[in-house]
Amino acid sequence: MKRLLAFLLSITAAFGLAACGGTGNNASSGEASSAPQSSEAPSSSAGSSEASGEVAPAASNGPLKVVTTSDAYQVLFDKFTEDTGIQVEYLSMSSGEVLSKVKAEGGAPMADLWFGGGIDAFMQAKEDGLLEQVDFDGAADLAPEYKDADNHWFSKGLTVVGFIVNNDILAEKNLELPKTWDDLINPAYKSEILMSNPAISGTNYAVVNAILQTKGEEAGWKYFEDLNANIDYYSKRGKDPSEKTVAGEIAIGITYLDKAMEKLQEEQNVTLVYPEDGIPYVPEGVAVFKGGTNADGAKEFIKWFYQDENLREIIPLDNKDTVKIVKPNLENVELSFPVESLMKEDLSLFGSQRSAILDKWNTMIGDKAETDE
Amino acid sequence: MNKRNKKWVSVVGTHFYNLLDFGILAVLLSAVAVFILYPLLCIVKNSLWIDGAFSLQEYSRLFLKNGRLLSNSLFVACLSAAGSMVLAAAVALKVHFAPKKVKGLLMGLLMMTMVSPPFVSALAYIQLFGRRGIITYRLLGLSINPYGWGGIVAMQSLSFVPLNALLLMGVLSKVDQSLIHASRDLGASPSHTLWDVILPLIRPAMLVCFLLSFIRSLSDFGTPMIIGGRFNVLAPEIYLQIIGYSNLPRASAMNMIILVPALIIFVFYRLLMRNSLFSASDGKTGEFQSVFHLKGIANLLLTILSALFYGMMLLQYGSIFVGAFTKSIRGKLHFSLEHFEQLRMYNSSTLVRSIVYALIVAMAGTIFGMLLSYYIERRRIPLRNFTDFVATLPYMLPGTCFGIGYILAFNHPPLKLTGTALIVILNMIFKQLPTTTKTTSAALSQISVTMEQAAQDLGAQKFHVIKDIVFPNLKNAFLVGFINNFTSAMTTVGAVIFLIHPGKKIAVFALFDAVNSGEYGLASLIAAFIIIITLLVNLGLSRIIMRGRR
Amino acid sequence: MFLELRDLCKRFGDQQVVNHLSLSLEQGELLCMLGASGCGKTTTLKMLGGFLEVDEGEILADGVRMNELPPERRPISTVFQSYALFPHMTVLENVIYGLKFQGIPRKKAREKGMEYLELVGLSNEASRRIQEISGGQQQRVALVRALIMNPKVLLLDEPLSNLDAKLRVKMREEIRQLQRQFGTTMIFVTHDQEEAMTLADKIAIMDQGNLIQIGTPEEVYNCPANLFAMNFLGFANALPGPDGTTIYVRPEHIQIGKTGELEGTVCHREFLGFYQQYIIKVKDMDVVVKANWDQTFSEGEPVWLHVLKTVS
Repeated sequence: MKRLLAFLLSITAAFGLAACGGTGNNASSGEASSAPQSSEAPSSSAGSSEASGEVAPAASNGPLKVVTTSDAYQVLFDKFTEDTGIQVEYLSMSSGEVLSKVKAEGGAPMADLWFGGGIDAFMQAKEDGLLEQVDFDGAADLAPEYKDADNHWFSKGLTVVGFIVNNDILAEKNLELPKTWDDLINPAYKSEILMSNPAISGTNYAVVNAILQTKGEEAGWKYFEDLNANIDYYSKRGKDPSEKTVAGEIAIGITYLDKAMEKLQEEQNVTLVYPEDGIPYVPEGVAVFKGGTNADGAKEFIKWFYQDENLREIIPLDNKDTVKIVKPNLENVELSFPVESLMKEDLSLFGSQRSAILDKWNTMIGDKAETDE
Repeated sequence: MNKRNKKWVSVVGTHFYNLLDFGILAVLLSAVAVFILYPLLCIVKNSLWIDGAFSLQEYSRLFLKNGRLLSNSLFVACLSAAGSMVLAAAVALKVHFAPKKVKGLLMGLLMMTMVSPPFVSALAYIQLFGRRGIITYRLLGLSINPYGWGGIVAMQSLSFVPLNALLLMGVLSKVDQSLIHASRDLGASPSHTLWDVILPLIRPAMLVCFLLSFIRSLSDFGTPMIIGGRFNVLAPEIYLQIIGYSNLPRASAMNMIILVPALIIFVFYRLLMRNSLFSASDGKTGEFQSVFHLKGIANLLLTILSALFYGMMLLQYGSIFVGAFTKSIRGKLHFSLEHFEQLRMYNSSTLVRSIVYALIVAMAGTIFGMLLSYYIERRRIPLRNFTDFVATLPYMLPGTCFGIGYILAFNHPPLKLTGTALIVILNMIFKQLPTTTKTTSAALSQISVTMEQAAQDLGAQKFHVIKDIVFPNLKNAFLVGFINNFTSAMTTVGAVIFLIHPGKKIAVFALFDAVNSGEYGLASLIAAFIIIITLLVNLGLSRIIMRGRR
Repeated sequence: MFLELRDLCKRFGDQQVVNHLSLSLEQGELLCMLGASGCGKTTTLKMLGGFLEVDEGEILADGVRMNELPPERRPISTVFQSYALFPHMTVLENVIYGLKFQGIPRKKAREKGMEYLELVGLSNEASRRIQEISGGQQQRVALVRALIMNPKVLLLDEPLSNLDAKLRVKMREEIRQLQRQFGTTMIFVTHDQEEAMTLADKIAIMDQGNLIQIGTPEEVYNCPANLFAMNFLGFANALPGPDGTTIYVRPEHIQIGKTGELEGTVCHREFLGFYQQYIIKVKDMDVVVKANWDQTFSEGEPVWLHVLKTVS
């Protein structure tokens, strides 16, 4: 009898899961937020009762769920929880993955807040109606070119792009250190440059778009054709160019640059180059998803984040101070490079031109990356 | 009086157990329909309904413009499958005929290589054989370009070996010993015996290895993504379509394209299996009491091949463990605990959650798969062949595809599962279902039908036949299923990327994340943790089950 | 009638495996089903046990129709050719497995199991594993496992075919003894005519799905229904009878000596221990004759044959 019971238990354990899933859903389909997070709810309500003056959102909303680009932001989220009592759960993901996933989820997004990632994805998301409008007082202080006119997305800083160069290989091949974008098309660098596929790397998409804007359509495409002659293949991961340059797999990588990268110069025999003929950049977005279970918490976060003291928190986490560009009146922060060295970009074109540019790009590079469209 | 009472008990019991039996069957069939067929149909629909209208544009475009991708995929799949088949045969033969002590060691190593976290082996390959690779550059002074189809084929061949070798060893252990004795008796040398008797006997099983590896290669996206260079194949391209363009229709269509060769291969596989490949032979089988030493050129060849495999594996795992404790500064390795500091940032709950999920997946998935296999093999159930076919489909689909299918299928009521832990667990269970059912089928073919009839004859209801007779004799299959389910739940990343949600991170996702943000050391450390935990759980369970058998 | 098969039919595809088989059995009788492999005897057994559906016809046990009952609810037990013992259970666990479905408490079941094991001299092996005991012991366990269910009918499917010659003889005696002791009605399938003769109250001879003959061993041996039945139960000489007919005579029913109806010469002699077998050339026919051990004739010697009895 005992054995029968044990067997039944194990069977029901197997099917109980499926069954519970079924009932759980029915509950949550009726009332958008209650059931699934119930286990987390007590902890979050306990947290909110501790919080003093802040308006704590209803505990039934559960924790604030965030998709972000790096686990480093945990420090920031912890501070948010400390200040407001709202628990934060986060996950890091590339912006392309986020966009696809949220699109597929059809109005029931996995998260409430989207923190970081190339702005083109945010623009696309706004177009697809995935983002929620957030109006708050601090929005007026932000530089208008780095936020959405309708307050669907904001920026938390800029990703700036340059080169990382492996000195050993350069010496081995008797090559000069490239100083400008134009240097890169020198045939001497053939097969020694790595760039990510702009379709998956917001950073490298910024390079393409910015150079096209700076040089003009015709000269711009001519430039990329010449560059293409020097590049063997376009990597499928955004991190590849810098990683493979450090590892000595390639001499020059086109990559984002920040203080953490600069630190590499101490540990590895590499040099960072901020191109003298202009630094392409792309803003990093912040936005609230439409239809999330805790949109109130997400809005609360945005309000909180754009307070000066909290904005300053992100500088060590991001290893850069470009947040000063986003909020010019941010006190006690000085930009470590002159704003003038950035390329002149019309960000409004980033989203709208994306598919046309990538299409043309793919035709140009041929079989070096068969990702087309 | 007593007699009447007895009868009453048995009548009630009969109804109860018949109902239970029917209930189990209903749950099995509907689960297969809901959690495999339905998501797949969602993918199909997604590839055909573009902006609300029926269209074949994605397919025609794929054939017109991306034929190269498909041919590249097939090319790599052929080579990887062949390579892995040959290597696996060499490894399996060497282990099978090895002296007892060596055998244990080789088996242990093989078990370890079963646990292979994604990406890190490809990264290790670059560390070892890249332009600045430890072996190619530092040891041999070469600077070769490791990116391209060669690298993919090499890595895939190696990584498919463990499973293939285990399968072949299973078949080898069933080869009738007297055939080998007869061959020797008739004057054949060990080499000739190997070539003329043993290899022909395991040839069908080798072909099965080939087919299974072929399908695995088609759906592998991690390896080509990291070391493919400019050589493109379909599976990573699907991933790029999703993350680069969020073009779900095209990604779905590409998945369907991958499915075609996989299906053709599968039909071959079924035909092979039907020829009772794995049925028991009547002769004396099992451990070789008599001594049979491999000798001669054949042995030399086998030794070289399996040494190649073990050597590569040791290097690979060595570099993972070394990577976990070192930091490369100016091209030199330094001992460092820095990655442990980094790891501290991750919630320890991530690791615990992974283990809990994996245990649930292993337990529930194995029991589910075994039950399903039993009903398919031994009962006349409705739509038997169709069910079997559907239950095998997840094996052929790239993980990312199965993940997207789940999102599409379960993002709305009545079955809204997105954002729950359940969707991750269910996805893992059903992705591995084919392996569990196939293992169980093989084991079931060893249990004679008369044994079940005997139990029924003694008064056992269908339910009791399963509980008392079939399951106790499937311990081995359970063990294999459990280990496979647990291991893949701990190490497979494909579908999880799209199903995991904030607050429910698992270790393999953290690994994926670390790989993507270029933290190779951290990735190595997480991988090392995953390997150790998985090995411990697998070994522990093996111990428990083996002891039970005494 | 205690067990009755009425017009039983079974078809596999377009092959008629069992063809309108009817037979009946009294309580406590032992019926041997005899026939070459493929004659339909095992199929019949499977239909009786409930493992195969009946196409046509009816099975009645103690007046109750069995056709629709699943195996577990039939008062019929089977001893399988392969024994089908459960390898993951001990000897005792195997024996008492069926009792738990009769609602018998485990303790009581174990006592009863030990009793039955005692009957076949296996009480010392009760806690051993199936793989650890010999073939003959396994056979006994399978038998006892079925008997303990107290079935109305016990079916045995070539149960002795896996044993060596000596053990077969011993086991068939044991089975016969147990059958008498419990008064169990049994159907015993075999292709060994000697086994059938020694065991059976009745013998049923089957060929290509048809029942050829059913009767006591004496009846079927001495008065076979047709040539097939006659040849299946042993050899018979075909000799010219009166008026151009053919008569059939078993070798032991011919007397060899100095007088008789047929004259011939000794062609070949085989010494077979307790008797001798001769091949006698009569005209152009070879006649097989069994003679006593002390009746010795040398090859080439002329002899006379006397027919004692013909097969009718």
